[in-house]
Amino acid sequence: MIVPDAKEKWSGRVNTVSIGATRAEGGTRGRTVTIGGGSGIPLLGFDGEMPHPPAIALDVVDTPPVDWPQPLAEIYGDVWSDPAAWARRVKELGADLVNLRLAGTHPDGGDRTPQQAVETVRAVLAAVDLPLIIWGCDVPAKDREVMPKVAEAARGENCLLGAATEGEYRTLAAAAQAYGHKLITLAPCDINKSKQVNILVSDTGFPLADVVIYPTTAALGYGMEYVYSILERGRLAALGGDRLMAQPVILDVGYEAWRSKEARSGDEAADAWGPAAARGPAWEAVTATDYLQAGADLLVLRHTKAVEVVRRVIQELFTAAAAAR
Amino acid sequence: MMIFSERINGMYRDVRTAIAERDPTVIHDLLKVQLAGGADVIDINIGPTKGDAVGNFLWLAQTISQVCDKPLSVDSAKANLLLEVVPAVRRALPDTPLVINSCTAAADYMDKLVPLAVENGAGMIGLTMDQEGVPGNVEKRVECGATFLMRALEAGLPVENIYLDPIILPIHAAPKQQMNAVEAIRQLAMVSDPPPQFIIGLSNVSQKCPLHELLNRTFLVMCMAAGLTAAILDAADHDMIDALITAEVLLGKQLYSDDYLKAWKMQKGLA
Repeated sequence: MIVPDAKEKWSGRVNTVSIGATRAEGGTRGRTVTIGGGSGIPLLGFDGEMPHPPAIALDVVDTPPVDWPQPLAEIYGDVWSDPAAWARRVKELGADLVNLRLAGTHPDGGDRTPQQAVETVRAVLAAVDLPLIIWGCDVPAKDREVMPKVAEAARGENCLLGAATEGEYRTLAAAAQAYGHKLITLAPCDINKSKQVNILVSDTGFPLADVVIYPTTAALGYGMEYVYSILERGRLAALGGDRLMAQPVILDVGYEAWRSKEARSGDEAADAWGPAAARGPAWEAVTATDYLQAGADLLVLRHTKAVEVVRRVIQELFTAAAAAR
Repeated sequence: MMIFSERINGMYRDVRTAIAERDPTVIHDLLKVQLAGGADVIDINIGPTKGDAVGNFLWLAQTISQVCDKPLSVDSAKANLLLEVVPAVRRALPDTPLVINSCTAAADYMDKLVPLAVENGAGMIGLTMDQEGVPGNVEKRVECGATFLMRALEAGLPVENIYLDPIILPIHAAPKQQMNAVEAIRQLAMVSDPPPQFIIGLSNVSQKCPLHELLNRTFLVMCMAAGLTAAILDAADHDMIDALITAEVLLGKQLYSDDYLKAWKMQKGLA
């Protein structure tokens, strides 16, 4: 029997996006991180290459989290009142990038000022030489005040700024473009809106080559398959030559996984569930590794054990596979 | 969908006069409008012009190449003329992709034109007819189309450079032939995997009809649903291009977004 050749002829590929800038590039980072570039279905070596293995960012928040459960408090509790110290911790733990959340600027969550946000960003930039992802607080009126200042303070560092949405994209796109940063476009679990946001952002003059798509994230058991299929459809559109969908994808796995009751509940939850210390990291790791198979390019994580697992999977499935070819 | 511009055709008086007077401005102006509308390939046809046919073709090809490097579709029903014109255009424009428009499934036509396509690295449009003329039914169209396809494949033409044309006739003259052509596309699309391209000369359907634009775009969408991948049309007809884009979205060839018309134009560098 002849095995049919399943290789597809693709006309497009995923963009490559580099985050961070070294001194030679006008920044102060120790290295840059490049994601994307996939030219076929993820992990089908015969179909295309994945020149850049997925990258891992670890969360740092500008204000001590009030809702992080015990397994995370054990890792970060001693540093989470100091974003600079926290950033040093995530570097020690092997992060490729720092994922800095300016949650403390939220009007109901501390209402930190734009100037305080700028100081936090400067402190993190000074503490570690990893590339930065920076998110606002998701309140458009406040983000419009904070993010341009933050973008200016980080000028030249080629950060990844989040997130532009269909209703709120002009200020962030302008700030990213003015100060030389990359941009996250967000459309919650809606691939058609995802394309629409990219059209709108492109209309402002922002280059689509500098965009990373955030389709939101759902944890295992909480609709993961919806986001998974959006990743699949987006990748197929990109490979089919749709340049408005050819952007690499970031997923916020740690945040979503640690919202699930399976990750949050303590040892008392149920005997059959196993100890909390293993359950939460497992929930995060399984969610992340599933998304790797759908073509996620950049994963934001939290727990060290999840990082270990995801690193190993990336090493075995991506790096080693690429070396073997 | 590959859009072949139909407008650079000596059947149009302005083009005919421009060829006779060697006036490039008329051609350039027409071309710019076609390119702005989304033309991918420029069909060139000298029509009933007088004088040296090869020279007229060559002038058109070179005049177009001053504005764009789009592929050219060399359009003539005369096989002997194509035998002269295609090598001449190839020599003048060595890097421009060419399509020979057209050949029939009659043996003497294929004997001349298939080797011509291979030698000049050109694609080919094969009409689903033979020496007996345009078939009045689906079956004979499919038979002719399959005959041409097999011959072109055997000669080594890549399948993506082979276009089958099921022959469109005017609605007022031959009202049953439109659906015969649609059905022929549907059936021929299953003859090979991957299938060849399918192309129609769209405006034939509406010849001498006052509502020609509406007829054109409606029929275009019907053919696209059956598997059409290319059409010779007037890219300046914006309603038609919008219908084409919309059909691509509904057929799942393009991902929907609220600004999908604009998205299509952005991808082509037109917006």
